[in-house]
Amino acid sequence: MDPLRSYLGRLLLEEITPVVMVLTTPLAEAACRKSGLSVVDMLSPFSLFKKIDGDSPPRCSPLPIIVCVTLVAFHSIGFCDLMGNPLYAVPVRTASDQPYRLQMFKIRMVYASDVRKQDYEVADQRIKPVVSEANESALPDLLSDPPQLEDVLSKPEAELCPLWIKKFNRALMRTLSFSEHETFDHPVACLLVVSSKDNEPISKFVDLFNTNQLPSLLNEGIMDPQILKHYLILHDQQDGPQEIAMNILAEMKSTLGLNDCKLLCINSSTEADGADAENSWLPYIKDFMQDLASNHIIPYMEQKIRVLNQQVATTRKGFRNQIKNLWWRKRDDVPEAANGPMQVFAVTLFFFFNRYTFTSIESQIRVLGDYAFMLRDYELALSNYRLLSTDYKLDKAWKRFAGVQEMSGLCYFMLDQSRKDAEYCMDSAFSTYLRIGSSGKRNATRCGIWWAEMLKTRGQYREASSVYYRVSNEEEFLVYYTTLMEFSNVQEPSLHSAVLLEQAACCYVLSKPPMLRKYGFHLVLAGNSYYISDQKQHAVRAYRNALFVYKQHPWSYINDHVHFNVGRWYGVLGIFDVAIKHLLEVIACSHQSLTTQSMFLNDFFHFVQSMGKKFDVYKLQLPVINMPSLRVIYEDHRTYASDADVNVSESIWQELEEEMIPSSSIVRTNWLEKSPDLRKYKDSCVCVVGEAVKVRIELRNPLQIPVAVSCISLICQLSTSLDASSAVNSVLTTGAGEDIANTKPAISTFEDDGNNFTVSKLDIVLGGSETKSVQLEVTPKVEGILKLHGIRWTLSDLLVGYQYFEFDTKRKTKKGKKGPRRTLSNTLIVIKGLPKLTGCIDHLPTNAFAGDLRLLKLNLRNQSEYAVKNIKMKLSHPRFVIPGDLSEVDFEFPQCLRKHVQSEISTVSTKRTQGDAKGLLFTFSQVFPSLNVSFAIRMCSSRLKEYIVRMDILNRTPSESFILHQLSCNDSKWAISSLPLCDSIRSIETVSANQSVSCFFKIKDLGTNSCKEAENSSCRSDMLFLSREGNSNTEGFDVSQSPITNFHYQERYQQGRLAKGPRDLLDFILISKAVGGNYSKSDPDVQLLSHHVCHCSAIDQSPIWWFMEGPRTVTHDFSKSYCEANIQLVIHNSVQHNISARVVTYDSVPDKSQTVNLQDSNSNQGGWYDVSLENDIKAISTAKGTHYQKQPSESISPFVWCSLSSAQVDLKPDTSTKVPLKVCIFMPGTYNLSNYQLQWKVHSSEVGQVDENQRSGGGQGHPFYVTVLQDA
Amino acid sequence: MASMACFAIVSKNDIPIYEAEVGSAPKKEDLAYQHQFILHAALDVVQDLAWSTNAMFLKSVDRFNDLVVSVYFYLYNNIVFFNLMTHARFMLLHDSRSEDGIKSFFQEVHELYIKIFLNPLYLPGSRITSSHFDTKVRALARRYL
Repeated sequence: MDPLRSYLGRLLLEEITPVVMVLTTPLAEAACRKSGLSVVDMLSPFSLFKKIDGDSPPRCSPLPIIVCVTLVAFHSIGFCDLMGNPLYAVPVRTASDQPYRLQMFKIRMVYASDVRKQDYEVADQRIKPVVSEANESALPDLLSDPPQLEDVLSKPEAELCPLWIKKFNRALMRTLSFSEHETFDHPVACLLVVSSKDNEPISKFVDLFNTNQLPSLLNEGIMDPQILKHYLILHDQQDGPQEIAMNILAEMKSTLGLNDCKLLCINSSTEADGADAENSWLPYIKDFMQDLASNHIIPYMEQKIRVLNQQVATTRKGFRNQIKNLWWRKRDDVPEAANGPMQVFAVTLFFFFNRYTFTSIESQIRVLGDYAFMLRDYELALSNYRLLSTDYKLDKAWKRFAGVQEMSGLCYFMLDQSRKDAEYCMDSAFSTYLRIGSSGKRNATRCGIWWAEMLKTRGQYREASSVYYRVSNEEEFLVYYTTLMEFSNVQEPSLHSAVLLEQAACCYVLSKPPMLRKYGFHLVLAGNSYYISDQKQHAVRAYRNALFVYKQHPWSYINDHVHFNVGRWYGVLGIFDVAIKHLLEVIACSHQSLTTQSMFLNDFFHFVQSMGKKFDVYKLQLPVINMPSLRVIYEDHRTYASDADVNVSESIWQELEEEMIPSSSIVRTNWLEKSPDLRKYKDSCVCVVGEAVKVRIELRNPLQIPVAVSCISLICQLSTSLDASSAVNSVLTTGAGEDIANTKPAISTFEDDGNNFTVSKLDIVLGGSETKSVQLEVTPKVEGILKLHGIRWTLSDLLVGYQYFEFDTKRKTKKGKKGPRRTLSNTLIVIKGLPKLTGCIDHLPTNAFAGDLRLLKLNLRNQSEYAVKNIKMKLSHPRFVIPGDLSEVDFEFPQCLRKHVQSEISTVSTKRTQGDAKGLLFTFSQVFPSLNVSFAIRMCSSRLKEYIVRMDILNRTPSESFILHQLSCNDSKWAISSLPLCDSIRSIETVSANQSVSCFFKIKDLGTNSCKEAENSSCRSDMLFLSREGNSNTEGFDVSQSPITNFHYQERYQQGRLAKGPRDLLDFILISKAVGGNYSKSDPDVQLLSHHVCHCSAIDQSPIWWFMEGPRTVTHDFSKSYCEANIQLVIHNSVQHNISARVVTYDSVPDKSQTVNLQDSNSNQGGWYDVSLENDIKAISTAKGTHYQKQPSESISPFVWCSLSSAQVDLKPDTSTKVPLKVCIFMPGTYNLSNYQLQWKVHSSEVGQVDENQRSGGGQGHPFYVTVLQDA
Repeated sequence: MASMACFAIVSKNDIPIYEAEVGSAPKKEDLAYQHQFILHAALDVVQDLAWSTNAMFLKSVDRFNDLVVSVYFYLYNNIVFFNLMTHARFMLLHDSRSEDGIKSFFQEVHELYIKIFLNPLYLPGSRITSSHFDTKVRALARRYL
């Protein structure tokens, strides 16, 4: 890239130009004032001369319109003739003989009073307006959206940095003008302007160039006072005819010199405004300026260059001079100014301040170099600068050295030669400036800016940005990053560093690849500096531009810092809505410390208050709504229950409901049934007018500070007509997704729906890091479609947050009772009022014993105004819960059982109209085992239809005692009686913990026809275990009453499924009472337990019963004959079939295979036979009575059967027959007449009616003892 | 002497998955975001350097005033197993400190990180929340830094 066309090139061409010092009289100024301009202002626009084919537009300067018009008219000023024909650049000849042309030339016009070095403070005051001015223009930008990544990357370089920054750079450099060590700012010429109205203009000219008024640079010997002078007489046409001025001019020419005097007539137009009239005098200004430049200044400079070059060549060039120079410098630290043309006064005056006067060779070389630079002879300039730098270095004149290095760096750049050298020069200049301390700081800044611009021109953006950063660091020795948070003392230099940092940031974007993070970081640094220097708009702008860098990156502290500061500064600027938008990003910062959190929150609330009105915030982060915790609890056709019941697993309900309600899918699949509109909602849930739909959701406070949340309520919409709601619905479904907030209707539409539904409002205070679950309610008032859209709340009474529920995604947990069949949607169909039943069971026991008998009262209350009919109840365990009768409600339990009734479950129905079923669920949590009851039944061998029963009771509770109260049979044909020798079976009455008892009793089959008989006898189907005599409470319970009977049937059915016995006889019901122990503290009467043992059967069972009948004692005189005893065998057929039975008697010893009883009888010897019980037991316990088998050889039987040895009888069903038998006994004694056998055969009409085993069989005779005594 | 150091592990997507202020200097709330800023900005430099060097340990890749950023990172380009770990970067922001100590610190933390990484319950790229890891890293920092 051509360095001259680059930004830096143009900058140098415009800034490092010859200076013309202007001296004016007050009257001359006054003449110019008529146009609103000063003399310098008037002349300046014409001081830029450009080649006609130059491509850059004229420099725009903020001048009044009159000059602008001029610029339009003469935009092609430059070296052109008066007719407007372009002239090519003036040929310039410097040291070399080869002339060349200047493409562009500019003269800087400066008042003499301004030719001095400025104080830093004053200079800074001048720069500040540049920045502040840009403030106003930045303001509208701040209201727009912050830039995005694409915007920044696609911006051209020029737009990346605001334009005013370049202006700022220029202003910053200008503060350094007219320094001592640089000569390019030193005036080349002096223009003296005197008005024609002045008295004695000639003497005024002399007075003007009075040394007292001249700038210090000239007076103090830093620069040569002998400069080119040019005299201008200014004539205002309105003040008089031009002749006066012409006279003065003639006079001037004669005294001051022919060529150096000019006349300039202004204000020639008669019109006062003079704007668009023919400004015929303006071309004269241009003409004058062109003449000044081309005929005076440039030739003067050319000449001076040549003179100086000659001088330098003679004194410094060449080997001899170099040696001399070196030697001379070494010899004396203090330079002698003696080798120049003597100006002793000046030298002595400034000897101690400055050893380089304009007469010193160093200064002259410098002037030579600068002039050459200004005339674009960079080669010459560079060679001189190089020469000079070694001198200064040897002299340790660092500031001058740095200045020379800087210029040589620029020369390298303009020559587009070695980049390395250029950079080296700039680097050494920069660091040298820094080394000399505070006086060089500003120079270092300028040098840095040039350096950075140089790097930017070459595309080395990254290096440029680091240079900027270094410069900014020097500009302010930085505290910005530690004092970010507080309002620090306003430091002016931080403003400069801010601007420089911003430029550094821009460079990072421009570098390849763009370093965006660095960009962001430096913008943030710049923003902080802006803020410290009280430029809030710029601070916000810098931060905003950095926002996109940090977006989506979870560098939490960075995000918080950026958003907080942007928000805060917007707030300070009074743009509250944007401020709040940014602060919203940070208020939920859980990772920050308590103080930071409260600071964020306080600022936030402060700005919200400043807004002065409540407003809505979508997805306010405070408090955090835990969406997965969302549960909608509504009452459809089934659900109206406590919270605990709501959570009962679905399968339990399904099981219970199976047969009771028609499946809703079946109902609704018929497309004819519903209108199409309703079918759309067929999967929706149902709620009822006037009943609240509850929504439970968790709120979490992420902060450590308690926050007050009030007016938490639901956002709902209830549309009464189906068409309207379906339209809305379609909108919602299409817009589902992230931009749901846009498609949802505005909040305000939901608010004024008070006629259709009411919502509950809830106020809570969330402590630090607390999570609370809240329940919100909405109560629809009319039928329609109710939509739950979201939740809204008010934070600290200041602002309203709202959030929409996300029903669309899969994770929602809503209370879908029917599992997958019911979709989770936020839409509820509001139906007409439904009857609502409340049901509860008072004193529902949480634990009970097995067999515990309780009265449970189910109280149903219809809370609605609608009647209920057809109430059905389903019990999951009908074995354990038996519904009672309505008439039994008021009975007292268990007294009602005493010969009365007992009610278990009662139902209440109210007004009966229309029905619907409701589910109620009651559960026992625990059932403990109590008593184990078992029965063993044996046939009684001595009586017909009698059994002996052993009852075993085991108490399995660890601590409870039970009183046995009553034992009952299920059927009245059975009678329970005690064993003959005992009064009752009441010997045991209390079974204490872990005790096991047995008792024996007898039961008798009274048969169906013998009920009457039973009435008279003492035998009853109930047997009381009377605890003691005279107890008033010993009434028996009536087991035939409803509850016990019902339970018994259930038990019987259940046990019957398990039992495999062939034939069951009877069932027992044992009723006991719990006493003592830790469980039953209350009245023992209340604690009734009933145990049902069903399908008890006898161990040995045969279809026929038989026993002997006859005299037990016979007295006979054996001396006469043997004794004959007549006995009968009674045989009873107990089955429903014909049986043929055969009786066989034995006289001989039966064979070994006979039963034990037979062995007993076998072993009987003549004479007395011991029939003690002991023997019986022994016989039973030992399989083979060895004791008795020792006498098998005894062949003489003491008695013989005599009537018959065998008899056959046929028995009809349920009849008895007697078979007469006769026995002959030969000697007195007691005999067991059991050696007979009974064989039977069942003649069954229907095969299969009787068990195969029992179709035929046989049995040994029962023992029958006959005692025969010798008759005396 | 109170030293300051801030250690961070930055995942592939420039997300910090672990951060710790490990210096012995008293922790200042204000500085937390400053350190993040510096580390975040240094990622630009690291990104450039990553393709131009084979070294795992890069000392002083970036500096901000007197704070220096050192980086330790992997580029297991060819090893399939470590593909997932590519581009996890350990970044340490410290004031001037011995290079050897920092290098040893990085190597030890690397081992710890691999242990975390091999945990089947750890999702690569997610935040490291293990308190055990945290204590270990802080202990290492006390030893080496």
